[in-house]
Amino acid sequence: MTAVAVAVASLRRVVRDRTALFFMIALPLVVILIIGATVRGFSTFRVGVVDEGAGRTGTELVAALQAAPDLRVRHYPSVGAASRAVARGEVSTAVVLPRGMDTDLRAGRTVAVPVLAERANSTQQAAAAAVAPVLAAQGARIQAALFATSAGAGSVDQNLERAGRLQATLTQVTVASRTAESRAQTLPEGFSYSAPTMLVLFVFLNALTGGTLIIENRRLGMYERMRAAPLGPATIIAGEALGFVVIALVQSVIIVATGAVVFGVSWGNWPAAVALIVTWAVVGAGAGMVSGTVFRTPEQATAIGPALGMALAMLGGCMWPLSIVNSVMRQVGHAAPQAWAVDAWTALLARGGTLGTILPQLAVLAGFAAVLLTLATLRMNRVIR
Amino acid sequence: MIQERAQAAVAVRAGAPPPPVLVCAGLTKSFGGRPAADGISLAVAAGEVYGLLGPNGAGKTTTIRMVCGLLEPDAGSVTIQGRPVGADRSVKALIGYVPQEIALYPDLTGRENLMFLGRLYRLHGPLLAQRVAAALDVTDLAERCDERVDSYSGGMKRRLNIAAGLVNQPALLVLDEPTVGVDPQSRHSILERVKAFAAAGMSVLYTTHYMEEAERVCDRVGIIDRGRLIAEGTRRELVSRLGERDRIDLVVSGDAGRLAAACREVPGVDEAAAADGRVHLVTADGRRVLPAVLEKAEAAGVPVGSVEIAEADLEAVFLHLTGTALRE
Amino acid sequence: MPPALVVAGKDLRQRLRDRSAIVIGVVAPLVIAAVMSLAFKGAEQFHFSLGVVDADHGPVAAGMIRSLQSPGVRSVLDVRAEPSAAAASAAIRSRRIQAALVIPAGLSASVGGARPVSPTVLTSVNNALAGSVTESIVGSFVAQLNADRLSVATALAAGAPPGAAARLQAEAARLTIPEQLVDRPLGARPIRVISYYSPAMAIFFVLFLISYTSRSFFVDRSQGMVERMRAAPIRPLDILVGKALSVFVFGLVSLVVVAGLTTVLFGAYWGSPLAVGAVCVAMTISIVCLTGLVIALARTQRQAEGIAGALVFALALLGGNFVFVSASPDIMRTLSLFTPNGWAMRAFTDLSTGGGGLGTAALPVAAILGFSAVVAVIAGLLGRRAVTA
Repeated sequence: MTAVAVAVASLRRVVRDRTALFFMIALPLVVILIIGATVRGFSTFRVGVVDEGAGRTGTELVAALQAAPDLRVRHYPSVGAASRAVARGEVSTAVVLPRGMDTDLRAGRTVAVPVLAERANSTQQAAAAAVAPVLAAQGARIQAALFATSAGAGSVDQNLERAGRLQATLTQVTVASRTAESRAQTLPEGFSYSAPTMLVLFVFLNALTGGTLIIENRRLGMYERMRAAPLGPATIIAGEALGFVVIALVQSVIIVATGAVVFGVSWGNWPAAVALIVTWAVVGAGAGMVSGTVFRTPEQATAIGPALGMALAMLGGCMWPLSIVNSVMRQVGHAAPQAWAVDAWTALLARGGTLGTILPQLAVLAGFAAVLLTLATLRMNRVIR
Repeated sequence: MIQERAQAAVAVRAGAPPPPVLVCAGLTKSFGGRPAADGISLAVAAGEVYGLLGPNGAGKTTTIRMVCGLLEPDAGSVTIQGRPVGADRSVKALIGYVPQEIALYPDLTGRENLMFLGRLYRLHGPLLAQRVAAALDVTDLAERCDERVDSYSGGMKRRLNIAAGLVNQPALLVLDEPTVGVDPQSRHSILERVKAFAAAGMSVLYTTHYMEEAERVCDRVGIIDRGRLIAEGTRRELVSRLGERDRIDLVVSGDAGRLAAACREVPGVDEAAAADGRVHLVTADGRRVLPAVLEKAEAAGVPVGSVEIAEADLEAVFLHLTGTALRE
Repeated sequence: MPPALVVAGKDLRQRLRDRSAIVIGVVAPLVIAAVMSLAFKGAEQFHFSLGVVDADHGPVAAGMIRSLQSPGVRSVLDVRAEPSAAAASAAIRSRRIQAALVIPAGLSASVGGARPVSPTVLTSVNNALAGSVTESIVGSFVAQLNADRLSVATALAAGAPPGAAARLQAEAARLTIPEQLVDRPLGARPIRVISYYSPAMAIFFVLFLISYTSRSFFVDRSQGMVERMRAAPIRPLDILVGKALSVFVFGLVSLVVVAGLTTVLFGAYWGSPLAVGAVCVAMTISIVCLTGLVIALARTQRQAEGIAGALVFALALLGGNFVFVSASPDIMRTLSLFTPNGWAMRAFTDLSTGGGGLGTAALPVAAILGFSAVVAVIAGLLGRRAVTA
């Protein structure tokens, strides 16, 4: 089939071009690695700790903070360093354990533990609120020991030990929690987040910049030559489209395989995943061919392609979950095909969805593909004549 | 201004022989031990077109680059109007350089390209505008000079390429294969212009591997092969070196190389060489050797399409001197 | 006009004529900043709605609800009454609220006894943080109840007469835990998405000048343009300085234009103008030097495109132009300080949050210039042939 020959020519040119391979394979994998390692913490706070010489109570408190499931602790040498870290966003807040805290508490003096947080900054306040119960649990033992001692029974140290034992056995007023909504709307964190979103981003972006192949063919007069051979426009267009789809599929397979093997990503129900990958490759092919016929110079395609690809990826929820943006932007975002692809991946990876679950998304994506390919065919028809 | 110079040239021609504008003495350059130019000496007078004729890779471009100060010679020197090219950059202002490639910015207009290059020659203000206008005028580009170069036809780009070498009104215009890839009509107009520049008093150093071009425009020709200038003179001088000889060109449809080898055995054939489907012969008497040559062709099984017998020309001179055809 | 300026002027004219250069230098960063600013409008600060079901109606429940409305947490959440746990669950599923607190009947009465009942927080996997913040705030309130109960139990265990239990309970109720968190303001603005990503995207797209310029250099050279310029009575250095100057001017102008427009249009805050200017100048100088390095390393246009492309993305990834580098693991933050854009991002982060002027920018600017000097020396050693050959 002659269309295959056209496709093979495109493929061969891409494989020979080391720069293209870098952008197709190496860059997506590196981005998956970096974003996967970075984008964590939708459910934890990073908290800084400055120990100014608080003594034993301080050390115990740090251990308790580290043990808290929703906190991650970083140490800073001074209040200045911690303040900078909070301002830069390295941590959401920082706790300062004052000098002599241990002695003061045992002597019955109330100790103010400064927490670096602006009143107006709700993220910092929320992190501070998460630190409070850890502090209170420790304070409870001290309050109890001091109270017992003042009631005339035993020394502070004895009573501290007693309080510690009792705290473990005494029935406490607890705060129970129950999940009222378990249908996850975002991808799991880490590589399971970065791999599918970056797959969506790079297949599309790569196809847009891949439009240069068509532009170069136009400039080199390759289509003239093909048409001089007994090839109809339909064959040429089909061949180019096939080339784009195959390139996108090769790229997807490498990303999916590396994601699974190296980053331990589970791609969910496989028939559904395959259907989604193929559909997305066809959407990408349509976009790539539109880019190849709309842009006039390779420079335009390589300049505007990535910018457009990134903007659509941001709108479509590849860079951050659409559940965290405001509702208007959530709706606007679904004008980008990326949003539907990410929704489908979320259904597969976060909720264990199957082919049936993602049929609506696949249908919408097929619609996008149909529109793009029709547009591309119309433009190509004009371009290659 | 061009007229003034022409008058000066005429005045000089009438009297004593004018001092040469360009003098190259023993120019030598090798790349990685392989000599590209080997002791090339030549001089070009004002109003003279000097052609460097030789096949591709003979050392023409190397020589030209040394003349323009783009390449430092290993040995030898170049002077323009008595001033050495090299340390003193201002000497470069006397040279107009037209490289073989179309060295122009496709995204700028013709005029913008010339203005830019003119400024590099420290021209500015009304003088720059005037020079640019003159260069555009003389190359017939004034009409479309405000369009982007990438919209020009191949011939227009070639002409603009030459115009760019004229902006600084050089004493010496150096043209490196200015007609490569140009249609016959544009080639004709380019050659006519080169003649006109010389008539106006400009010295022209012109490289080509087209013998017909060298015959048409050059007052004198230097034949260059493998880095050496092997002969020099006017066309008549060069041709007379061959004595009364003829050139036979055979257009063949078989293995030209085999036929050339066979023809060397024919008594009376002095030189034989093959080049793109042709066999070139140099002989004392064309009519006498032709039957023997055609016999050889038949014997070798190389069909001959056409035969041309002509008086000796530069092509024959080159063949005679080097034993190879000019275009290989 | 000095030849270097002539070359620079010509380069800039070409750049301005090419629409893709303007798209990359100005339009692209603005579009992306606009998307970010719209996406995070009103969604940037952590805030949620909390449903409260009060089936207790006692003093402990009242105290608990008051703690959820204290000044410290008022910016974090707003409280909405819900009639029942079922209604609250439904509200969570329909995203009207992000978490709910169910205070069971009899909580106030049970606190004094041996088997106290517990309040329950209803959570959603889609906003785990809202659930855990609610648990923390209620936990802090409950901690005081537990502390009081523990105090009585400890005193009794230490040997206080059992008959004194009622008196001890009354006394303990007046206690407060002796460790209290107090807010200490930072005097810093919060880091905002638009203020981080405006410079991040501006720098990312200005990095493309490296690809663009090195590519055009090799195109010029293969077209014989460099040769033609060298035939003119100018020094090779003039050509280099001219090219460098045009990169510098274009880079600086696009950074400054993007800074101005994102500030005016999207309310980004880059920092004090003088310090921002210093960082932009340093950053642009590093781009000039990196361009020189690519030209020195590459031999063909293709190679230049490849090297520059890889370099641009490597720098952007390491320097934090894509990911918020402050929140990254330590190794990422360290690696970012090996890139000029990483230092620039740190400078812009500090300037936009901590205020500060040239003093804040001094160390990053010095680091970027140091990086540039090293790159320039390497490029100079490698690149003599680039212009002369």
